[in-house]
Amino acid sequence: MNERARILVVDDEPQLVRVLRTGLKSRGYDVRGASDGESGLETFSEWHPDLVITDLAMPNVDGLEFCRRLRAISQVPIIVLSAKGEEKIKVEALDIGADDFVTKPFGIDELLARVRASLRRANAPPISDATQVTLDAGDFQVNLESRQVKVRGKEVHLTPKEFDLLIYLIKHPGKVLTHQTLLAAIWGSNYVEQNEYLRVFVGNLRKKIEPDATPRYIVTEPWIGYRFDPGS
Amino acid sequence: MPLRVLNSRWAEYVGAVGGTALITAVLGPFQEQVNSTTVALTFLLLVLVVALFWGSRPALLASVLGMFCFNFFFLPPFYTLAIAHAENWIALVVFFTTALAVGQLSARAKQRAEEAESRKREVESLYAQLQAAFERETEAEAIKRSERLKSALLDAVTHDLRTPLTAIKASITTLIDEAHGQITENQPVELDAESRFDMLEVIDQESDRLNRFITDLIDLARIEAGELRLRRRWGAVDEIISTALTRAKSLTTNHHVKIATEKELPVVRVDANAVSEVVYTLVDNAAKYSPPASSIVIYAQRGPDGMVTMAVEDEGTGIDRDLRDRVFDKFFRATRNGDVAKHQPSGTGMGLAIAKGIVEAHEGKIWIEAGRNGKGTRIVFTLPIGDDDAANNGREVPGP
Repeated sequence: MNERARILVVDDEPQLVRVLRTGLKSRGYDVRGASDGESGLETFSEWHPDLVITDLAMPNVDGLEFCRRLRAISQVPIIVLSAKGEEKIKVEALDIGADDFVTKPFGIDELLARVRASLRRANAPPISDATQVTLDAGDFQVNLESRQVKVRGKEVHLTPKEFDLLIYLIKHPGKVLTHQTLLAAIWGSNYVEQNEYLRVFVGNLRKKIEPDATPRYIVTEPWIGYRFDPGS
Repeated sequence: MPLRVLNSRWAEYVGAVGGTALITAVLGPFQEQVNSTTVALTFLLLVLVVALFWGSRPALLASVLGMFCFNFFFLPPFYTLAIAHAENWIALVVFFTTALAVGQLSARAKQRAEEAESRKREVESLYAQLQAAFERETEAEAIKRSERLKSALLDAVTHDLRTPLTAIKASITTLIDEAHGQITENQPVELDAESRFDMLEVIDQESDRLNRFITDLIDLARIEAGELRLRRRWGAVDEIISTALTRAKSLTTNHHVKIATEKELPVVRVDANAVSEVVYTLVDNAAKYSPPASSIVIYAQRGPDGMVTMAVEDEGTGIDRDLRDRVFDKFFRATRNGDVAKHQPSGTGMGLAIAKGIVEAHEGKIWIEAGRNGKGTRIVFTLPIGDDDAANNGREVPGP
């Protein structure tokens, strides 16, 4: 890392902020803490961090509202901390624009891995539809004009919807994509409740691109959605 | 078996015929002596009885048979169906008409009575069914409500258990990574001695917090089950306060703690340990919810009606009027004016619920007021001074 990445940790639990600050600092990050959404937003506007980690259950401005307000002013990667059993609020946070989540209690390695992935995604050059004819990501090579797809060098034949779904996934590697997000992106906002659609199409797409029964590229996030890993 | 025969259709008619035969047999030998009115009334009585027991048709049969027997055996000339005197014609017609009317009317009355009875039973059974349904419904509602409450409590408990656990797990994994000298993606772990100590301190404090939470849970469960037994002894209020303050010393290092007790305070007959716990909880809360360098004042004075009034006052942000009762609910926590730099772990949300349980077990009261000049929080509680007669050693808290 050339420059220390700045991370803002927002949590009403002072002890957790203290631990995360020390843990992240020990890995070379520059860290600041805030105890609620309100002060989190203040720190954000004056300090401009590269990534935000936030709890979802907080007093004053809660985690969801914080994500919403943050998204209105910035595209900074957001990782939310939540407990098992809070799937509903987690999905809501991801739909609002959070990038990833970590379930409490978590080991510092898990959080660090998510932090690195989110920072990498944020720093990657943007994929622009207008100029690019080919997409090259990990094991996938796609020609957007001829709609030709190669996985691990072998050509696969996809239906138009499967193709759209794959392109959307390739353009959002590593990010948790909720069912709702994917349905709205591929089928339109009238279909956001049709989880069955998505399940069938993901199933078909997996049969065509995955090397074996355990999905490697399209990973299921139970109750939430999917995460795409383009492979090496 | 004989009852069934008696109740069967045929038995009713046989009864009507038998009754007529019996009367004829009994009165027959005296046909010369008995007058026709006696005979007619006896047959009428039979018709009435038959109608009441077996209904209108056997009564009709008894009436017709009665008329024939009356005529044949008892109206001269005997053993013919002819009638000598005109008055006997009248007697026979009156008998038959009366017998028919009595038979039909009494049978109908009986039927009505039976119908009314069966309708009443039907209504009663419907009512019972309805009542049972209502009971089941309220029971289901109560169970649902209690399930909702239970799940809300479970959420609160799991949150309070998971929060310290999260800090402990994150600290420990940080220390483990450092011990392994783990390097991931060119990110070596650099933990200086101070940070290492910081992590260990968090683990220590959060373990204590978990332990405190579990102890509070047990205390609260005991209070709610009515199993809090007070050990009342005569003791000085000053000593109770100073015990609590000694315990709370590490929590109040950033505050000015003052004691304002009345000079000649009476001794009180209370469970000194439990009351000292109440004072400790109030001082702990005061320190938590008021800024550093502000004052915390502990008051004690003799109140009216043989009570002692104690209070703990802080200069914090205060508690909204509409939240003042709710803060005594278990797991309720007023919004913290959180300060990340502050290393004090937050409370368990049970302290005030326990304090309330202890005060009420002493037959005292606890409530919240605004502090002096309307600023800060003042939590007041009362305790009866007590006397030897009234105070048994173990007084139980009434169950919830």
